[in-house]
Amino acid sequence: MSDLEQILKRQRVLADFGEFTLSSDDIDAVLTEACRLVGEALGTGRAKILEIQNDGQCLFVRAGIGWAAGVVGHLRLPMNEYSSETFAISESKPLFIRDIREEPRFGVPPFMKEAGVIALANVPIRLPGGKAYGLLQVDATEPRDFGPQDTEFLRTYASILGPVIDRLQTVRTLRFTEERFRLVVENARDYAIFTTDAQDRITDWYAGAEDVYGWSAEEATGQPAAIIFTPEDLMVGQDATEIGTALRDGSAPNVRWHLRKDGTRVFIEGVTTTLRSGDGTLRGFLKIGQDVTERREADEALRESEARFRQFGEASSDLLWIRNAGTLQFEYVSPAFEAIYGRSRESVVTGDTLARWADLIHPEDREGTLAALRQVQGGMRVTHEFRIVRASDGEMRWIETSDFPLLDDEGRVHRIAGIAKDMTDQKAGAARLTVLVDELQHRSRNLLGVVAAVASRTLDAGGSATETFETRLKALSRAQGLLSRFGSDTVEVGALVRAELAAHTDADPPKVVVSGPDVHLTARQVQNFALALHELTTNAVKYGALKGVDGELAVDWTVQRDPKARRWLCLTWTESGVAVPPETVTRRGYGRELIENALSYALQARTTYELGRDGVRCRIELPLA
Amino acid sequence: MSNAQEPLLGRRILLVEDEYVIAMEMERWLRGAGAEVIGPVSNVEHALDRIATEANSLDAAILDVNLGHGERVYPIADRLDALGVPYLFATGDVRIGAEPAYGNRIRLEKPILSFELLKAIEALLTLERVIDPLSS
Repeated sequence: MSDLEQILKRQRVLADFGEFTLSSDDIDAVLTEACRLVGEALGTGRAKILEIQNDGQCLFVRAGIGWAAGVVGHLRLPMNEYSSETFAISESKPLFIRDIREEPRFGVPPFMKEAGVIALANVPIRLPGGKAYGLLQVDATEPRDFGPQDTEFLRTYASILGPVIDRLQTVRTLRFTEERFRLVVENARDYAIFTTDAQDRITDWYAGAEDVYGWSAEEATGQPAAIIFTPEDLMVGQDATEIGTALRDGSAPNVRWHLRKDGTRVFIEGVTTTLRSGDGTLRGFLKIGQDVTERREADEALRESEARFRQFGEASSDLLWIRNAGTLQFEYVSPAFEAIYGRSRESVVTGDTLARWADLIHPEDREGTLAALRQVQGGMRVTHEFRIVRASDGEMRWIETSDFPLLDDEGRVHRIAGIAKDMTDQKAGAARLTVLVDELQHRSRNLLGVVAAVASRTLDAGGSATETFETRLKALSRAQGLLSRFGSDTVEVGALVRAELAAHTDADPPKVVVSGPDVHLTARQVQNFALALHELTTNAVKYGALKGVDGELAVDWTVQRDPKARRWLCLTWTESGVAVPPETVTRRGYGRELIENALSYALQARTTYELGRDGVRCRIELPLA
Repeated sequence: MSNAQEPLLGRRILLVEDEYVIAMEMERWLRGAGAEVIGPVSNVEHALDRIATEANSLDAAILDVNLGHGERVYPIADRLDALGVPYLFATGDVRIGAEPAYGNRIRLEKPILSFELLKAIEALLTLERVIDPLSS
């Protein structure tokens, strides 16, 4: 081949390579083609491009032609002082070796020896700006003198490669960045990401936005961003307000309900950011938002649950409380605390809340109450009573508390809680009830004793004894009835007198006159008093004022005080207009005995009973309790 | 000493009972059995007065527990214990067991029949005779 032909061929190689780089952005394809063309141009059929990697530690066989499998794209050669490659790079000029067997300065990598390489050309490749990229290496299997034409061609070729590699690397980096961006936005399905132009029309609509808002990229692109705003927000110009804030501040929060394609709503927590080009021109807006509807609903449910609990606690008249199971400090104390303990809630929920609470407990009950708490700490349910000294008035109050452990997911006691109430009044009520039951027991047994005695005496008399017994029994029964009707332990004197009279006569004033102040007799007084009244009444019915039409009866009473200031009931029973038969004057039956003796015996009363010419006059003076 | 008609002949028995008709009945039963009744009295004050005046001539006592107005018969029981006079309770109050000091005394529950009362008094006096030599 003539020199001219060779020059033409090599110029064609340069032109072919230039064209090839225009048609491809693939760096590996371009470099491989570069090796093929240079091998062809120098007639070696063998060339490669080595790239400096690992911060100058090694040379990577980036591209090549004429090499066995496992070399190109795989091998890395260490950069050391014995290698011709390193030498060329560090000297920053081409190095040509005619026959490596005659060059004791440099070692040759084994794969090259195996391939039978004898001669080689190392031409450094530098990127624009002068930074070393690597090496173009042409290998020959025959000893070869690289002439001036060869060296000039290779220098030219390497100087073209530098900018080409630089461009392709930039393209690759850019593509990688774009790819990464695409991957990020397409995989960020939980985030709705889209961009708009300066007029806030949608330009890019990514998969997350599709998922969240329901519009496809095709449907959304070109639409105003307002399509995702709710009607009420649009009415007040919220979309424009947000853009205005973003323009002024660079970004604007976007935390509100938005509209989906199907009309349902999603709650978005997001931000709108302005996009500007290098010179500050407004390009549009980037909008990123997260669908937090579910989280928000869960938050709201939680808030509602908390509110419900709080309302429950606030409204309860019982004290509800929660303590930390470890420290026993209060975590919650309901307002009923203030009424029960007579102290503000603040005073026991700050500082050492356990100690402050314990201070309110009666000293004798303090240790036991704390011991009960420790039992609950151990996982037991405990109902416990203790006394407190109520701070507001110093009064001792009984508290009953039912305490129970609250467990965590692993079944450990996490908190302890309880419900406490003031039992003082209930306890007093229960004690009073016990007294009443005892009293009732006593009264009814005594009554049976009385009945038995009355029966014994009455029935011994024979004759109309049964009827007399029954009427006496009824008088007792009436007295008991009045006691239970009043719902207390007392009966009013007037009620007792009227009930007894009413059982025997329909007579009204002026035949029968009953008058006196409101005076109450105790249960014990009532029984004896009723019996005496009964005897007076039946006597009057049989022999006295209530027998015929002529007689009159006046029952009246007053309350008087004796010199010792004791109160006495003074009752007089006065019959008049009665012709008294002589035989009744001497009659001293069981009835009269009851009138004259029973009250004085049992109740320290003073009784006078006399039969005047026109009827009975009886006076009863009874000390009141 | 005792005979079938009047098993309590000559015995002096203190009767404390606040309910008039019951007191009268018991008195009648005791007299019928030949006893001499001291009282009846309806309260602690009168009972202690009678014990003081009768000195050591009491043979036994019948005590109602609840004397009204919250007054209890126990001061009388204590006095009788001091004097070595046997007694029994005749009561409507079933809670006497709550007073451990008196829980082991004979206790008759109202209503009481006459033969119950007389038998209990006889038992009380017999018991007293058996215990007497031991305690003296």
